[in-house]
Amino acid sequence: MSRRQSEIQDTIENRDRIHVVMFFLSLLFMILGILILVRIVHIQASYTVDDRVIGLFRPSVQRHVEHPVRGKILATDGRPLAISAPLYDIYMDCTVRKAEYAETGKDSLERVWRNKAKELAACLSAEFKDKSADAYAQAILGGRDKGSKYLRIQKNVDLSTLEKVKTFPLFREGPYTGGFIVEKHDERIYPYDTLARRVIGYVKEQNRIGLESSFDAELHGTEGYEWRRVTDNKRWVRDLDSAQVRVIDGNDIRTTINVDFQDIADKALRAQIQADDEVRAGICIIMEAKTGAIRAMVNLSRGDTPQTVLWERENLCLREVGEQGSVMKTVTLVSLVEDGYVKTLDQTLPTNNGFVPGGYNQDVHILDYQRETGRRDISVMHGFEISSNYVFTWLAETYYGKKPQEMFDHIYSYRFGEAFDFDISGMGTPVVNRPDSPGWSKTTLGTTAYGYSVAVTPLHVATFYNAIANKGCMMKPYLVESVEKDGKVIKKFEPSALNSSICSPATADTVTRALRAVVNEGTATRLKSAKLPVAGKTGTARVVLSPKERQGSSDPYSDAYGRKKFQGTFVGFFPADEPKYTILVTVYSYPSHRNFYGGTKPALAIREIVDKLYALDGEWDAQIKHTGTVPVMEKDVEVAKGVVPDVKGFGLKDALYAIEAAGMHCQYEGTGHVASQSPAAGAKATDNQIVKITLK
Amino acid sequence: MSVSTVWQAIRNSFRALREGEFLLRIRADKYYMHIMYLFLLMWVTILLSLQVDKTLTKAGDNQAAIDQLRIHHAEKEAALVKLHSASAAETRLKELGVNIALPQEPATVIKKK
Repeated sequence: MSRRQSEIQDTIENRDRIHVVMFFLSLLFMILGILILVRIVHIQASYTVDDRVIGLFRPSVQRHVEHPVRGKILATDGRPLAISAPLYDIYMDCTVRKAEYAETGKDSLERVWRNKAKELAACLSAEFKDKSADAYAQAILGGRDKGSKYLRIQKNVDLSTLEKVKTFPLFREGPYTGGFIVEKHDERIYPYDTLARRVIGYVKEQNRIGLESSFDAELHGTEGYEWRRVTDNKRWVRDLDSAQVRVIDGNDIRTTINVDFQDIADKALRAQIQADDEVRAGICIIMEAKTGAIRAMVNLSRGDTPQTVLWERENLCLREVGEQGSVMKTVTLVSLVEDGYVKTLDQTLPTNNGFVPGGYNQDVHILDYQRETGRRDISVMHGFEISSNYVFTWLAETYYGKKPQEMFDHIYSYRFGEAFDFDISGMGTPVVNRPDSPGWSKTTLGTTAYGYSVAVTPLHVATFYNAIANKGCMMKPYLVESVEKDGKVIKKFEPSALNSSICSPATADTVTRALRAVVNEGTATRLKSAKLPVAGKTGTARVVLSPKERQGSSDPYSDAYGRKKFQGTFVGFFPADEPKYTILVTVYSYPSHRNFYGGTKPALAIREIVDKLYALDGEWDAQIKHTGTVPVMEKDVEVAKGVVPDVKGFGLKDALYAIEAAGMHCQYEGTGHVASQSPAAGAKATDNQIVKITLK
Repeated sequence: MSVSTVWQAIRNSFRALREGEFLLRIRADKYYMHIMYLFLLMWVTILLSLQVDKTLTKAGDNQAAIDQLRIHHAEKEAALVKLHSASAAETRLKELGVNIALPQEPATVIKKK
């Protein structure tokens, strides 16, 4: 074989080898490809991953959700009405290390644990004072015997107590020896307990009421999260390579509530309710006349029986829609004066023995009036003072009988026909029987004039009286004045008007005079001696009973035993000559044979409130100007022996000097400057004569 | 490059490693500074990473302490505010048997002219 042939032969062999290698390589890749395809199909169709495998591939990071701190609800002066803080529930795993000790076969370990448990029981008993040490020990050791892994030790413990509990025997050894388990949960704390609780409200899952509900979006804040990883020291730290959403704590809301006002009103009302087992509930609203800011809103009520605890159970101020009785006579009076039908309060009308034609009941009070005075006419003012239904029925029928819509236009302009916007949702919708309503009858106009046929909430009534106090400008009542973040105001709610003029200032003045007369001469004389002059109106109304309460009675206002439910109201403002606050108090009775008048319990409660508010604020009292001069003894005053010196206006030191220099002795009482002296100045006196001085 | 050549290179490398001449054979001395620089960078990276972990741990501890203080503050504030009402003061005075009541008259105000 030639060299050339040999080279060719080698090349052929080389190519064959390459072909073989390439063939096997391509075969290998093809098999691998098929295997991958089969694997893909397998994974997609039926493969389940072993948890251990997942564990190996899972990165050691976890998502940590951060919950925002709910904002505070503050009183108008910044005192907190509701704040958030976590509370802790303490549990115990009683079985901790029990099996381990059993395995070692040494009883001593178990005995030591049990002895420590007894020491722990003693500490828990001393701290919480709810159970004896033996009872705690029995629970823990019994739990260990029974295998209890989650024994409740105490719920709702604060942080200070928790830190103390952590130092108790056994618990100080941590969860793996002491079985110490703590669960944290955020709770709302109300520092003033029940004070204004219906206004503040709460948010508990689906139950949402009060400001907590209305301003939940502001108070709640926004949740945040971050990813955390484990460090080499087995500590969880923020993973800076992962996304983070910062938590935003809730905003604070500053209310118009004045804690002192609320406290005083709550206490005064509570005293009136607790003194009488037949009173079911009582409410109070104090509103600032110029702005409509609500300074106090009290809603106290008992349960079905008088024995139940007096509590802020429901917001009656806002939700109790009912006929308000004689307090609505002021509505009629304002309309009559504003329309010019009543030009002066001394205007008279015939008494007609208390009868108004058209199916109205006789007003027996008019018969008393006729008998006492011998007169056959009565002034509008006196009718208002004695709260005569006859007078107001007569006025309404006489002046609005042919055009009732005119009177109802007024009622609507006073916002009695709507549940206006308010900071707490759920205001009761008023019921007004208009001339075109199905419920309209020939007596509706007259009964509306004295407070029946129209059902409104107490807040509506207070808002109307506030408008009179405010010279006709009806301010919108409000409870929240600002939203704040870290003390900085981010949203401010200014006072606004519901109706800038429900009547002229002259009409408001006239009606104020009538309201003042009610207190001085009429049905609310209990308020005559209040420390600030009050103007207002009483009202007593029967309450429509529910079918269950009626117990088969056909009369909507009384049950089968003739008992009726009443509500007695006083609403007005003070000081009468320059109104600063409008106040309403209503008490509600259980079904009773007694009457509950607005001039009794409500007036007494208001008197207490007004007297205390008077003492609370220096603005009511006379002011001393700082430029006032105080008399001082002149250096060259002559003191004659045997003659009583004139020490009036002197301070004590100077008076003592002058009297003793004249050879007399001094007796004094009081502080300040000498207001009077005895004997009088200039009188002759013997040595050692006693001169009595009074300092004021 | 044939398989035998690759195999030969691997064998030579192992032999060089055994004889301690590997770095010289691949002329690593030529890249000494680069290698040292890489080493330094890695060392600094590890050190910084540890420092970051340490700082984050400290920040976490501080945050926990701040949270605890905030809770304490809220609890103390609530406890203090509870006492800061007229009726609470009245009740407390009564309990203590102190004969002091709320004022019946407002305070006299001295006002600038």
